Amino acid sequence: MSAQNAKISAGTPGTEKTAATVGSSQWDLVMTRVFDAPRELVFRAWTDTRHVAHWWGPKGFTNPVCEMDARAGGALRIHMRAPDGMVYPMKGVFQEVVEPQRLVFVASALDANDNSMFDVLTTVTFAEQHEKTKLTLQLRVIKATAMAPQYLKGMEMGWTQSLDKLGDHLAKMEHQR
Amino acid sequence: MQDRLSTTFGALADPTRRAILTRLASGEASVTELAGPFAMSMPAISKHLKVLERAGLIARGREAQWRPCRLRAGPLQDVAGWVEHYRRFWEASFDRLDEYLQELREQSSGRSDSRKRKKEKTHVRSKRKD
Repeated sequence: MSAQNAKISAGTPGTEKTAATVGSSQWDLVMTRVFDAPRELVFRAWTDTRHVAHWWGPKGFTNPVCEMDARAGGALRIHMRAPDGMVYPMKGVFQEVVEPQRLVFVASALDANDNSMFDVLTTVTFAEQHEKTKLTLQLRVIKATAMAPQYLKGMEMGWTQSLDKLGDHLAKMEHQR
Repeated sequence: MQDRLSTTFGALADPTRRAILTRLASGEASVTELAGPFAMSMPAISKHLKVLERAGLIARGREAQWRPCRLRAGPLQDVAGWVEHYRRFWEASFDRLDEYLQELREQSSGRSDSRKRKKEKTHVRSKRKD
C-alpha cells in the first residue's frame, strides 16, 4: 500500500492547493481544499442546484440535469455532459445533511441502462477557517464494476482533450495577433 | 461478471487487512508474524488472509509449515488508477467551484469592495478603488 500511496501523491506536480491521500484510512480518497468564501456560501453552492450546475464537473462540462433534494433520504440526480458530447448520468441519495457543516451521500454512476457501475460514499465537511472554508471530501468506494475504470478514464479524456483543444486554439489566436 | 475491482475494494475495506498489506509492503511474512500486532485469534487472522488471497492482493507460499505471505501489486494498481481518475475529477471540480464562489461573492458583495480577481465581472456595480 505505501508504494501505491507514494505513487499517487507524487504523480501530480502543481496541484498542491488540494491535499490528497489515498488508502491510508477507512477512506479510499481524502481531499482537502480551502475556499476563500464563508462557510454558508460554500454549503449553499453544494446544495442549491442553481449553484451546483455551475461548477460540478471539470471545466467544459455542463450539467443539463441537476436535481437535488438536500435532506436526509433526499435524492440527487446529475447528468454531466462532457465537451465531446458524452453524457455521464449519476444518481444518489443523501444520508446526512447538517447545514452548514456536513453532507453525506451515496453517488452512483449509471450505465446506459440506468444500472449503477459504482457506488461511492461521499462525505463533505465544511469547516470555518477564519474568513475561509476548509472543505474535506472523503470518498469510499462501496461497489465498483469492471466498467468503472473505463468510465472514469473516458470522462477524464473527455475533458483533457477539450482542454488541449482550448490550448491549441489559444496558441493560434496568439499567433494571429 | 464477478469483477476484480469490487473484490479488491471489498478486501481493502477492512482496517486489519489494510494493516496486513502495509506490513507486507516491507517484505514477506509468516502468519504468526502478521498476527503479532493484532489482538486477534489465529483463525481470525487466517480469515482476513483468505479474503486478501481471494482478491489476489497476496500470495502464499506452498511450503507446508511456514507459508509466507507476500504482497501482489496488480489489483492495487487497478485501485490506484481508479482513485487517481476520481481525484482528478474532483480537483477539476474544485477549481471551478473556487472560481464560481468568487463570482458569487463579487455579485453579492459589491458593497464590501472585497478582493481583486483576475476575472472582474463587468456587470458588478461597485465602486472599486483599484
